[in-house]
Amino acid sequence: MENSTVLTSEQITSDLLPQKFGKRGMIWTGILLLFCAFGAFAYYRQLKYGLVVTNMRDYVSWGIYISNFVFFVAISLVGSLITAIFRLANVPWRTPLTRISEIIAVSAITFAALIIIVDMGRPERLLNLFIHGRLQSPIIWDVIVISTYFCLSLFLLYITLLPDISILINAREKLGKPFSKLYRWLASYWKGTTAQEKIRNRCITIICIVIIPVAFSIHTVTSWLFATTYRPGWDSTNFGAYFISGAFLVGAGGVVVAMYIFRRYYNLEKYITEKHFEKMGRVVVLLALLYLYFNINEYLVPAFKMKKPEEAHLTQLFAGEYAPLFWFAILVGMIIPIFIMLFKKGRKPLPMFIAGVMVVVGAWFKRYLIVTPTLLHPFLPMEDVPASYHHYFPSWEEWAIAMGSLAGVLLIITFFARVFPIISIYKTLTDKNETQQSS
Amino acid sequence: MKPSNHHKLFILVLFLFGTTISKINAQDSSAAESSVNLRYFANNNNIQYLLVQSRSKVGKKFQPLPKRAVQVYLDSNRAEDFISSTVTDETGTAKVLIPTTLKDQWLNSAKHKFIAIMAATPPDEEKTTILEITKAKIEIDTSTTDGTRTIKVNVKYLDNKDWVPAKDVEMKIGVVRSTGILSAGDKESYTTDSSGTTSVDLNKDSLAGDLQGNYVLVAKVEDNEHYGNLLIEKTVPWGVARKAEKNFFDQRTLWSTRFRTPPWLLFMAYSIVLSVWGTIFYLVLQIVKVKKMGRTIRSQT
Repeated sequence: MENSTVLTSEQITSDLLPQKFGKRGMIWTGILLLFCAFGAFAYYRQLKYGLVVTNMRDYVSWGIYISNFVFFVAISLVGSLITAIFRLANVPWRTPLTRISEIIAVSAITFAALIIIVDMGRPERLLNLFIHGRLQSPIIWDVIVISTYFCLSLFLLYITLLPDISILINAREKLGKPFSKLYRWLASYWKGTTAQEKIRNRCITIICIVIIPVAFSIHTVTSWLFATTYRPGWDSTNFGAYFISGAFLVGAGGVVVAMYIFRRYYNLEKYITEKHFEKMGRVVVLLALLYLYFNINEYLVPAFKMKKPEEAHLTQLFAGEYAPLFWFAILVGMIIPIFIMLFKKGRKPLPMFIAGVMVVVGAWFKRYLIVTPTLLHPFLPMEDVPASYHHYFPSWEEWAIAMGSLAGVLLIITFFARVFPIISIYKTLTDKNETQQSS
Repeated sequence: MKPSNHHKLFILVLFLFGTTISKINAQDSSAAESSVNLRYFANNNNIQYLLVQSRSKVGKKFQPLPKRAVQVYLDSNRAEDFISSTVTDETGTAKVLIPTTLKDQWLNSAKHKFIAIMAATPPDEEKTTILEITKAKIEIDTSTTDGTRTIKVNVKYLDNKDWVPAKDVEMKIGVVRSTGILSAGDKESYTTDSSGTTSVDLNKDSLAGDLQGNYVLVAKVEDNEHYGNLLIEKTVPWGVARKAEKNFFDQRTLWSTRFRTPPWLLFMAYSIVLSVWGTIFYLVLQIVKVKKMGRTIRSQT
């Protein structure tokens, strides 16, 4: 926080209190609600008519839903990166970014779980996963780690919110009634005593230690859903590390985008400064280079050997039907953002925002490319299937549900920012006091 | 041989070659002739059925005619003798069972005619075929003398109301294997004598049986001009009992059912789950503790 030393505590509290939606906020929320409603209608049709409304068939049985699932799981990893890793590494500039990353993690993991239910087709059978699940199946591992990560992320968000909610309860006059009952229900017991603070700090440290392996597990297990299936493009021992590096990249990209939007529309320039963009730029470049390295490994080595059963898959990616998407994901998702953020001027807020959007969009298409083209080229082709099964393009219902789920993630973040401070008031005040004391 | 004779011989060979080729071409180019065929089956003396085959003859080869409508009758093509209407499948075959409505008619006579009429399908005209059969039964018996296992098969046909030995009936006698019938003796087929009987000593030792050492003996008459296709089976405990393999899915492996999870996986999974959820439970307890502290402070103030 660049100017926190010159800001008074009252000003900090006032600046960081949740704000009512303005006209733009209302339009934004309305659009998101529309997307969600449209997605819900499409899902109603899917429930009514079955998965036949999708374009998933015998070949491509994991389509855009699973691509979305992998994307959500990936982006949710940012909670562990910014909060846990940065906290344990004692990164001093993390304060304005932690809550943003935590809410991104919670909202993304929520919709990761939901989109899996959508993909099931028969959601009433969800309970069977828990009742009759086989512990040998990576799908059950995924169910376990996703639910665990969701609980830990929610817990982390809640426990870091406690002092802020206490501030919100005290600021009732300024905030008005709307959420005062909710605040009291959540944290009326928080008095901020030394004993309470000590327990809270211990809890945060424990969560930060536990959440890192759990976060690694969630994405490793998700990668194993693919890697344990014998298919071209998935038959890799490297998939866990490949997925985690990609997850860190998209998560960091997502945080950069959110930083820019909150900074601009909540007037948080004094808190999310250019220094934060500069630092995050360096982190994103490092992560993008790392992910690029893994991509080179994943594609160059099989392409060098060009084994016959994998040839069709690789050729389709490099120069065939999926080549435009593939090179778009590589260039826009990694190489161009690296070139933007490699230079100091590129690490300014606007270029960073653009690069962040590119990373996120590229990452979404990358997940689509990981899932779909492989399914079109199994080692043993199926016989007597209609020609249309050899191609996949999502139906409008699939697009509507996928877009609705993306809108749902953004809606959770939007509502959260309306109800709670998107930057920790308490931590900002603490940082300010510590800075003043040290100076 | 003189040179002029060489020329004559060459011209003769050329002529013969040319006429042969033209005949072959003429055969190939001739229109395919469609037909319908009937085959009668009686398995284990109690299941009688017919196989209808629609086919076309191109040159010397039969090709299946799929999706052809065929009507089958018993003894005459009157409506009351109607057995079934069927459509042949992709292989030009259809199976027809004799309905219970024709039971009395079937039992009243020792000989029957089956009539199959294949409907006209342009350019093919309507085709009819008739199959006459005499009811027959086949019996199998086994005995062991001085360690020699003998299979005895007897065939009888119905003459008015009496069962009479059927002589000169050719059949296969053997052991059912996964890919066909393994002949019980040295010969491929056996023929009944005047008593309608044929026997064969089994010269195959150590044939694999099922888990109890059983295998199935079979005697099979194929496309006999009087009796059609007859088949009789008998299960005998003459095989070598197959050792029960440890079921692939009964082992504690990664591909087994959920009740057969490998112990190492159970240990790892439960250790991880319990330690992480134990930590979460501890954290919840801490929050409860903080909550109690807060209430105490509130009550004091």
